[in-house]
Amino acid sequence: MSEPAGERPEVTADDVAAQVGRSFPGGEFTVERWFAWLLADAALEQPRASVSDGAVPEGSGDELAHPLLAWTAATQAMGVTWDELFAWFGSSADDGPMFGEHETVWHAPMRVGRTYLVSGEITSADRKSGRSGMFDVIGYAFRLHDKEGGAHVADCWNSLILPRRHS
Amino acid sequence: MSGQDDDVTARPGDDAAVARRGGPLAPGMRLPDRDVPEVDAGRMKTTAALLRDPTPIHWDTAALRELGMGERAINQGPLNMAYVMNMLAGFAGGHDRVRRLRVRFRGNVRAGDRLRAGGVVTGVRPGQGERGGETLCDCDVELSVVDGDPVLTGTATVALPEEGSDDE
Repeated sequence: MSEPAGERPEVTADDVAAQVGRSFPGGEFTVERWFAWLLADAALEQPRASVSDGAVPEGSGDELAHPLLAWTAATQAMGVTWDELFAWFGSSADDGPMFGEHETVWHAPMRVGRTYLVSGEITSADRKSGRSGMFDVIGYAFRLHDKEGGAHVADCWNSLILPRRHS
Repeated sequence: MSGQDDDVTARPGDDAAVARRGGPLAPGMRLPDRDVPEVDAGRMKTTAALLRDPTPIHWDTAALRELGMGERAINQGPLNMAYVMNMLAGFAGGHDRVRRLRVRFRGNVRAGDRLRAGGVVTGVRPGQGERGGETLCDCDVELSVVDGDPVLTGTATVALPEEGSDDE
């Protein structure tokens, strides 16, 4: 649970801004069938409803996955856990971090059975104040490439809002 | 818990969902709405596990109370995006036709909320796909709580097969 106020060192705007340009370790993510099925189900989509070009043989590597897999693969293979990412900015999951904005550009469909290479970095970090108090807006971007052949598959850009309840 | 088959109004590949080309595809055309009758807390838990997301606001109501955020679990932002992707895929005829989505999260979606995803065409332009000509359709998109406020707004681009092509 949340730490009592005062026990956590104050994180300054300069501390946050110093993280801009920091690269994610990166990694790779293989879209396994069970994972694609459960994610599609959680997203209220039929697991195999993504196909617009007719049925494809199971295991052929051509079966389409839900496009949310681009963001999912990126964040699963960014090379740090969410808690570790929050900690880069002196924050934690207990502070109630939130999504701000998101953009994905798909250069090719996501496919079941494929392995994607993920790279990325922190692109911005800005301290702001609003009705709910002080918060930081963190921008970060990922690129996905197909491990087999190297094709550029997707770009994801995101912003993360980190409330500063203890600042 | 609602079954998946009852959860949506249209799906990619459904004849009724695919963009109709009998009328003009032009700015101002509404995309077919897609409803989520009831946001399910169980699916938030599945998603938290899949994403290895430690944020307790998606599954721990005690944590929500401690943060002063009410009693109902808050849906993951990516799931809200996915509902819009589903709406776009229903319009365009498949998830592989969704080429770009940019969204801003404007409010929380909570367990039990009823949602509606929709949009409007803002531009139509030619494109070139892997299998030949296609039409790129730019849209404004929105996800709202039914009888409530928008929780997500943004823009998107989908690719539609050219009229008369084998893919149509």
